[in-house]
Amino acid sequence: MDVIGSFALVLALLAAGYSLVAGIIGIRTQRPLLLKSARNAGLAIFPLVTIAVASLLTLFFENNFSIAYVVEHSNRALPAYYKFAALWSGQEGSLLFWSWLLSIFAFIALFSNRKKHPELMPYVAVILGGIQLFFLTLNNFVASPFGLVGVIGAAGAPHVVALADGHGLTPLLQYSEMDIHPPMLYLGYTGCTVPFAFALAALLGRYPGEKWIHITRRWTMVGWAFLSVGILLGGHWAYQVLGWGGYWAWDPVENASLLPWITETAFLHSVMMQEKRGMMRVWNVWLVFITYMLSILGTTLTRSGVVSSVHAFAQSSIGSWFFSFLAIILIVCVVAYWKNRDYLRTDNQLDSVVSRESSFLFNNLILLAACFAVLWGTLFPVLTEWVEGNKITVGPPFFNKVNIPIALFLLFLTGVGPLLAWRRTSLSSLKRNFAWPLAAGLFAGIVGFAFGDRDIYALVCLILAVFVTLTIFSEFFRGARVLSVRSGANLLSSVGQLTMRNTRRYGGYIVHFGMVLIFIGISGQAFNKNVQSKMQIGSSMNIGPYTLVCQNLDGASNANYTAERATIEVFKGNRSLMMLFPERRFYLASQVTQTIVALHSSLAQDIYIVYAGRSPDDNAPVIHAYINPLVRWIWLGGLVLVLGTVLALVPSRQPQIVLHAEREAAPAAAGASVPVTVLQGHD
Amino acid sequence: MRVSKKLAALFCVFGLGLLFSVPARAQNERAKELGTKIMCMCGGCTDAAGKCTHSGGAFAGPCQTAQNELKEVADRVSAGSSDDLVLQSFVQEYGPTVLISPPTRGFDLWAWLMPFLALLTGAVLVLFVVSKWKRRTALAPAPKISPELLSRVRHQTGGENDVD
Repeated sequence: MDVIGSFALVLALLAAGYSLVAGIIGIRTQRPLLLKSARNAGLAIFPLVTIAVASLLTLFFENNFSIAYVVEHSNRALPAYYKFAALWSGQEGSLLFWSWLLSIFAFIALFSNRKKHPELMPYVAVILGGIQLFFLTLNNFVASPFGLVGVIGAAGAPHVVALADGHGLTPLLQYSEMDIHPPMLYLGYTGCTVPFAFALAALLGRYPGEKWIHITRRWTMVGWAFLSVGILLGGHWAYQVLGWGGYWAWDPVENASLLPWITETAFLHSVMMQEKRGMMRVWNVWLVFITYMLSILGTTLTRSGVVSSVHAFAQSSIGSWFFSFLAIILIVCVVAYWKNRDYLRTDNQLDSVVSRESSFLFNNLILLAACFAVLWGTLFPVLTEWVEGNKITVGPPFFNKVNIPIALFLLFLTGVGPLLAWRRTSLSSLKRNFAWPLAAGLFAGIVGFAFGDRDIYALVCLILAVFVTLTIFSEFFRGARVLSVRSGANLLSSVGQLTMRNTRRYGGYIVHFGMVLIFIGISGQAFNKNVQSKMQIGSSMNIGPYTLVCQNLDGASNANYTAERATIEVFKGNRSLMMLFPERRFYLASQVTQTIVALHSSLAQDIYIVYAGRSPDDNAPVIHAYINPLVRWIWLGGLVLVLGTVLALVPSRQPQIVLHAEREAAPAAAGASVPVTVLQGHD
Repeated sequence: MRVSKKLAALFCVFGLGLLFSVPARAQNERAKELGTKIMCMCGGCTDAAGKCTHSGGAFAGPCQTAQNELKEVADRVSAGSSDDLVLQSFVQEYGPTVLISPPTRGFDLWAWLMPFLALLTGAVLVLFVVSKWKRRTALAPAPKISPELLSRVRHQTGGENDVD
């Protein structure tokens, strides 16, 4: 099986190389057959890499311990469903997995457009071929997952051996979400590749019109949705598995996933300026370029050991490959832009400062500032080491201090932006749209203060959350009321009708509402409580309004681990509420101990119990209890966000009319008619 | 009389207890707060000493190193050292990497300044761009949309005040 996998990877590498070279020659010589063969070579990469992935998985399921990667990341006792997670748990396997996801995206992009955009697609095929060539080079020559276990024999010659068992999968990854979280995150990262390929192709080929920006936007939304889910699942995994009571630690690897997400978010807003008004073409192209480079930088940080992180792979020389790749990408982007900058030139105009356009400008400014702050904080220890010779720590307090005010301002813009009209917003419309939501937000703030909320950020977040929610709901309500009056349908079905008429707009509002829920959840952190105490059977501890009583301590074991378990009964006053069973497992193969958190989650708060193990002083069992308010709102917000994104990707039911003022052609005389462009809803 | 003397003595004891317990509690809080400002230097985790849960370790924190650091903090606080002095003593012992956030002096000050400088520069740029684009619009006035067309569009889009 390892031979089949290796051979498939070599063929995939050759196909990628051919796709790149034949594509370039085909473009320069304009030979259609060569271009077609380059595209077909690009299409062939997907089945070949699939064979390699299937081979590696088979080796895991066969417990083939003559393969070094299988030895390092699996063992006989590992449950079957974790053998999938073993595929991406190490450097070599995760790079193969990356190549596979990349090949899927490339296949879809090339296949679905095989009869469209004949001037654009050859460039797209070349760029995708070039990127896949890089990753397949790593798979074949730098980090092959099919390396064999060898020992030096008596005669000094190496020979292959098969070990009796493997070292097992890292216990941190032995959690069901680990079968979903990395694939989502990787789909998000690799999803940045297709928009990048289309944007660069349009620039290199000077593709006429704005069609490429529509394609880029839709692909970016797909990548953004995957990255969002990946980030949220990562937070959920950290919360459930790491046992420190939190979900986001501003770890360099966590930050690395946030960076392209932020720039993608900025692009998804600023792209509307280009679609509606033909503005910001240079900015948009660079946002797509930067997003791709940040996705590569993210994986570079994870894999190179440049920054220290609990999530990082072991330090290796692979970083230099990634840095070289990043440098090549940067050079290609700069040269492509410089040579074709006139292609992106536009006559940007702004009618009023109080308009949708300027709100997008400020939205992009704030998002980019947040992105810079995260990148700066993540890389500052490296910079200090380089300048001063000593390493410093940039921990969560730095990121919180810098990013919370920025994020709250962004939340404010989330409420303001959508209510501003394109071109110009009148003062009366501003008053009409904002007065009630703002008043309600301030009232909520006063109520929050009266109920003891003294944390300034949590208070501002509450005010803004109410304000933004009401602005979103009022948008739905106003539109639905008009429809309802006209059609006689009830308000609820009118809301559905309205949403399906313009899925992109109302899907976007739902995404905004999801973000509001996430912000509310994060603000709950200000009121976290935690207590750690030694507990014997019958002893108790208090946290918030609850009393925790240790009812039992027992153990369990199987072939994979041995476990100690506490039975904790939770009382409120004299009323017993529930039993929780925090656990501590010792994994036999890897000789690592892992916490299994006991969690009771509600919309108000989470009761989060960790069995910390036995105290080193007197061997007494130690329980660490946390009350974390509002955490569930984050996961709920994530669901709403995904729902909104999926909705925005669904084509609208009816054509919509877009006013499109064509300045060049329009007569200057007042009252002259303006052409009306009827676009399909999904455009 | 005897009862009132006893009461007075009780109040004295209670008052003295209160006098000593308040600073002790304040010291405790200070030590706890300082514990979250220094890193656990065990090398096996990336937690603050005061929040060390030492993921993957035999005991989910604080580990022995973090406990020693927290004890040292408590000792120094009770000996009357200021916050700065306590943190400085750790920097001398472990180097600047022991602090959870960059100090606000020397080169490290740039860690704090740069995000806000970038935001400020960006804001100035946006304002410049906005005014430039607005000037252009003033030079080339936009064509007007006739009221008839506007009402037709409003009618067709279901009265929404905007079209996306």
